[in-house]
Amino acid sequence: MKTTRRTLLASAAAIGTVTALKPFRAYAQQARPDLVIAVDNLWETMDPVIGISTSGGRVHSNLFDTLVRRNRWEDPDGTELVPWLATSWERTTPTIWTFHLREGVKFHDGHVMDAEDVAFSISEQRLWGEEPDAPRGTRYVAGIIRVEAVGPLTVEIETEAPDPSIAYRMVTPIGFVLPKHYYEEVGKDAFGQAPMGTGPYKLVSFDPSTELVAEAFDDYWNAPVPAASLTFRIVPEFSTRYAGLAAGEFDVIVNIPADQVAQVRDTPGVEVMEKSIENYPMFAFNTLETEDLPNNPLTDPNLRKAMVSAIDREAIVEALWGDATFVPTPFNFPEYGPYYDPDRERAYPYDPDRARELLAQSDYAGEELIWHITRGFYPNYEVAAEFMVEQWRDIGVNVRIRIVDNFSLAYQRPFHLLNMSMSSEFSGDPYRPLWLDWGPNSSRTRAAHRTWEPTERFLEIGERFAAAQEFDERHAAYLDLVEEWENVTPGMYLWRNVVSYGVREDLDWDPGNDSVTIFDRMYMG
Amino acid sequence: MIGFILSRVARAIITLLVTVTLVFVFIRFSGDPAAALAPPDAPQEVIEQYRRALGLDQPFWVQYTGYLGRLIQGDFGYSIHSGRPSLQIFLDRLPATLRLGGTALLISLVCGITLGAVAALNRGRPIDRGVMAFSVFAFAMPNFLFGLVVILVGSLAFQVYLGGQGASSTALGLIAPALTLGLASMGSYARFTRSSLLETINKPFMLAAEARGIPYKRRLIRHALPNAAIPLVTLVGLSLGSLIAGSVVTEQVFAWPGVGQLLVRSVATRDIATVQFLVLAIAATMITANLIVDLLYLVIDPRIRAK
Repeated sequence: MKTTRRTLLASAAAIGTVTALKPFRAYAQQARPDLVIAVDNLWETMDPVIGISTSGGRVHSNLFDTLVRRNRWEDPDGTELVPWLATSWERTTPTIWTFHLREGVKFHDGHVMDAEDVAFSISEQRLWGEEPDAPRGTRYVAGIIRVEAVGPLTVEIETEAPDPSIAYRMVTPIGFVLPKHYYEEVGKDAFGQAPMGTGPYKLVSFDPSTELVAEAFDDYWNAPVPAASLTFRIVPEFSTRYAGLAAGEFDVIVNIPADQVAQVRDTPGVEVMEKSIENYPMFAFNTLETEDLPNNPLTDPNLRKAMVSAIDREAIVEALWGDATFVPTPFNFPEYGPYYDPDRERAYPYDPDRARELLAQSDYAGEELIWHITRGFYPNYEVAAEFMVEQWRDIGVNVRIRIVDNFSLAYQRPFHLLNMSMSSEFSGDPYRPLWLDWGPNSSRTRAAHRTWEPTERFLEIGERFAAAQEFDERHAAYLDLVEEWENVTPGMYLWRNVVSYGVREDLDWDPGNDSVTIFDRMYMG
Repeated sequence: MIGFILSRVARAIITLLVTVTLVFVFIRFSGDPAAALAPPDAPQEVIEQYRRALGLDQPFWVQYTGYLGRLIQGDFGYSIHSGRPSLQIFLDRLPATLRLGGTALLISLVCGITLGAVAALNRGRPIDRGVMAFSVFAFAMPNFLFGLVVILVGSLAFQVYLGGQGASSTALGLIAPALTLGLASMGSYARFTRSSLLETINKPFMLAAEARGIPYKRRLIRHALPNAAIPLVTLVGLSLGSLIAGSVVTEQVFAWPGVGQLLVRSVATRDIATVQFLVLAIAATMITANLIVDLLYLVIDPRIRAK
């Protein structure tokens, strides 16, 4: 028998099930457990904007608080905004938003949070100036031109143009409030190594290549804090994380490979949570004719539409994910509340006959198309890609997968198809995935690895969409914009991304549909 | 003697320079460090800003000469992620790796030599065949696979987690990864000791010693073993390389917070200064180890000293 990780795990698990299990520590009797979360990685710095990442996001909300939060403890998709460090907010003028802050919130050193801290956290110098300290937050601060403390607990945020999304943006990493006095004293590098916020846990130690330990902050404004301490420990190898969970060393593990989920689920005392999150793996067609890619057959929309129609995404998603996720209709995402229409259908669903017709209308003559994929970045992506290449072969399109080790290699031209994902968070409506990610300033249009040029019509509708302040107007523009996008078909969305957690059965914790993990009293019983 | 040492040092410097240059080139052409710092969907301006901050917008030779210049002044650079000195990051991880590597070396030497000697003294008997079969297994077993088996059996069958807790680990938590790391060397030490000892036992001077009436134990320990150890010293020197390479895999599997894991992580995150320094440090370790082995020869083999 060939030994693979799967067979190895299966045989090891078999040993496990026939062996008497040591009783698990029971949390019910223990007032405040010390939780150990085994993660695949920790971001090198814990400044919550410089460290924007999945691995950082698991930690940030335990150390820091945002001004506004999405309520995922009652609704996993978090469509409702709840006051957090800001108790209320209103739009004073079309371009000015006023946020009122919670009184008496303390940082971990006892310093009381005020409007100056908030103004500093979203300041020009830190986030949106010429050369900001934390440039990774650029997309979240787009359009902000003034942030000012106008009272001890009142902050004004002014935008260049009327922008209905400001409150939603305060949920994102730019909404985390940092202690101005401490940050300025130690500087951004030292702050990233010894972060301090107002969150439920206060840092004990942080070593970016080993672990981060934080203990309950008992002066937390939203006390009580449910765990005595949190340890995020790096365990790069999945089997080792799994072993630690099975042995009772870890309480939570992240990133279970899709083909191991059943195995972990069968382990006594362990529960698996699969959550579909607000990120959609996809590929972009390179629709441009550039010097490095002369005679690019994908400039022909008929070929692109043929390729999209040739793929049975429902079957692929069912085979790979079961019911953990679904195939999205472009930009029709459940997290968008009133914009979401469960009955709307894709313009180019699976239809091999139509695919052949469209292909016949194109000038495609069997050229090899290269698909750049970053190894292991999106779970199941490579497997799905292999299915898709076969389905394309069936209609006569010749695609070759080139798997590379990182994004900068994937971005190296020439390529015909490029893997990527699009996140849908932060504006509360399709503004980000539709306009920020495909509009005239997007990396799709402007980066070295750009793949399309928005059409005149797309730009015209997009501006109408971005300017619209009322729902009806915005909704109508949104539908037109999606129609134009599908008319061009510059890419294809595969599924809603899935994250998985292995959790000890007796731990009462549920993160909602999110890769962010928070162990406060809202999420943990 | 001085000529010998000087030529060794010159060779060491050239080796280091070549290593440093290769790493410098490869890390820059195997993925853009600036793009690694920015999120995958970052706007081009952000990537450009990082590139300027890291000096990657400078011509290649300016970057290279600047790097060499700083190296000579003992400035090994700073992590692009945390801003901490690469040297400090390395020193923080070093104790864990030394602990693991040292224990692995100890286990493999003690067990390997003992097993080899036992096999040699029981030549042709079942115990000899058993030891040789084990040494082939030990040498052939990939350490990532052995490590995973150890961890999974430990946790699923015995409810004991054997993954690394680093410097604070228990004896068991140290022995499991050390055994995994030292297994291959143990196999080759056992085979080498056996053949070397067999050869020595049959040498005329051993017959002469027996004729002089020296007791068996003394003949073995004072006469046979030191002579058999000479080729073993070479082998130990060479296997330091596999110990370092193995530590990369073993630390990854056991979540052992040492230099090996740091190297994997730094390569993945394109932390250029740290990768450059780590490779330099590892190369220097190898070169020093080999130099020490050469000098050890002078100590244990009087014939070489006489020459």
